[in-house]
Amino acid sequence: MVACGCALLAGCGPLDRAELGRGVESLSALAAEGQLLADGVVQDRTRSTYTRVHAGTLAGDAAHEAQKLADATVEVGADRERDEAVAVAQRLDDALGELETFPSGERTAADVHRALTKIADDLERLAGRIKDGS
Amino acid sequence: MKAVLQIALGIIAAIGGFVDIGDLVFNSQAGAVFGYELMWAVPIGVLGIGLYAEMCGRVAAVTKRPVFDVIRMRMGLTTGLIVLVASLFVNLLTVAAEIGGVGLLLQLFFDAPFTLFALLGALALATIIWFVPFEGLERLFGYAGLALFVFVAAALYLGPDWHSVARGFVPEAKSSTLYWYFVVGLVAAALMPYEVYFYSSGAVEERWGPGDLRVNRLNAVIGYGIGGLLSLGIMVSAAQLFAPAGVSPDHLGTVPLLAQVPFGETGLLLALLGMLFAIGGAAVDASFAGAYSIAQFAGWEWGKYRRASGAPRFTLAWLLFFALGLIVLMTGIDPLDLTEYSVVLSVVALPLTYLPVLLIARDRTFMGDHVNGAIAGSLGWVYFVVLVVVAVVAIPLLLATNAGAG
Repeated sequence: MVACGCALLAGCGPLDRAELGRGVESLSALAAEGQLLADGVVQDRTRSTYTRVHAGTLAGDAAHEAQKLADATVEVGADRERDEAVAVAQRLDDALGELETFPSGERTAADVHRALTKIADDLERLAGRIKDGS
Repeated sequence: MKAVLQIALGIIAAIGGFVDIGDLVFNSQAGAVFGYELMWAVPIGVLGIGLYAEMCGRVAAVTKRPVFDVIRMRMGLTTGLIVLVASLFVNLLTVAAEIGGVGLLLQLFFDAPFTLFALLGALALATIIWFVPFEGLERLFGYAGLALFVFVAAALYLGPDWHSVARGFVPEAKSSTLYWYFVVGLVAAALMPYEVYFYSSGAVEERWGPGDLRVNRLNAVIGYGIGGLLSLGIMVSAAQLFAPAGVSPDHLGTVPLLAQVPFGETGLLLALLGMLFAIGGAAVDASFAGAYSIAQFAGWEWGKYRRASGAPRFTLAWLLFFALGLIVLMTGIDPLDLTEYSVVLSVVALPLTYLPVLLIARDRTFMGDHVNGAIAGSLGWVYFVVLVVVAVVAIPLLLATNAGAG
């Protein structure tokens, strides 16, 4: 019943700009969390098992968001932003995957942190464009 | 020292309401999304559960009747059966979610498949329950769960804006449905019925009598006060760390960052250990609450103090809760979704659980001189109205906010 209710509330038409914006917000939150996680590794103030498992969880979320956006039909005029969001989500998945693979490498973590900062900036710009276009 | 050891029952019962798997994530989401604005909802929950837990403990100490016994006696067989079915369903979801939480935390410690660790976690919990007496269980999980104070330390260390913190204790009338979803969730989680089923049955397990009413008050005030403080610690640190960074804590694994960022590896380990024992304790609470309810309703022999041979059906019942919880979990449902639905669905049972307690606690034929005083009686009715409102609005809010997803 709950699932049906949620489905009804969510609607089933093409993805509009507001929904696309929410997808981008989710990606930004993942990038922010990834930065905190990577920062712990850079400063050698965390545990590698924790970093590996949690980075894997976040990477999985980024991959899932990429798939969801790629599969969705978007409203007219929002295709470019959607494609860009998918591309950034894939970069996010890769960066977090790198942290998962090297959870105790301080230099790798510093690279990942830089990559995530760039991704966060790109997502912020993208969110602005999506908002302006609506 | 003796007084400190005597409040373990209140602490372990409070852990289930304030810092179990769902609450850990829910409190950090509240801080990340609304900053300090939802802090006022926590003391409302603390006062409500403290008030009713004190009544339940007093009724159990004076009449030797735990909550479910009172529900059946006061509400009759049919209503009692409805409450039983609802509470068993919610307890099962809760046990499944907590086992999932234990599995997730063991995974964060040791990096191995979740399914394996959920299975090992359930087996470990069942083994501990089997061999450790009731007082040992409440002390082990209650006091080890206090490692969660690392979040309170983190909140203080991160240097909150005390003016905003103080303003957070003043309720605001907002039009956002998400805001009210969080308010209702925080109040409902604090008043989860399984806490009082466990607490009042625990009072009988510990053979409380009228001479233990002071211990009961201490448990209700300090135990639930600690639960509320831990809840606030998580919310305040999330408001300082997650809100400005834009982190959305959707996973259990996100919560330890609140202690890792300020205190490094030590903070991370304390957070993970505290969470492990708190969630393990909540699994004990919920499985025992389910077994107590069914045994008390059916009139079986019950109690951990009787040992397995003295209460075989009760023992089988809590073991079954673990087994069924594990089966529910193996279907692949996210433990956090399970606990969110269990909190919201449990609100339906809230009025039916607390009304009979309120009625018997004011009945001089049962309670003699230990009936509710004027303050407890009046506050009890005020909170009963709050519970009815919460019960009515919880499911519409769940649907309107897509379970808090906005």
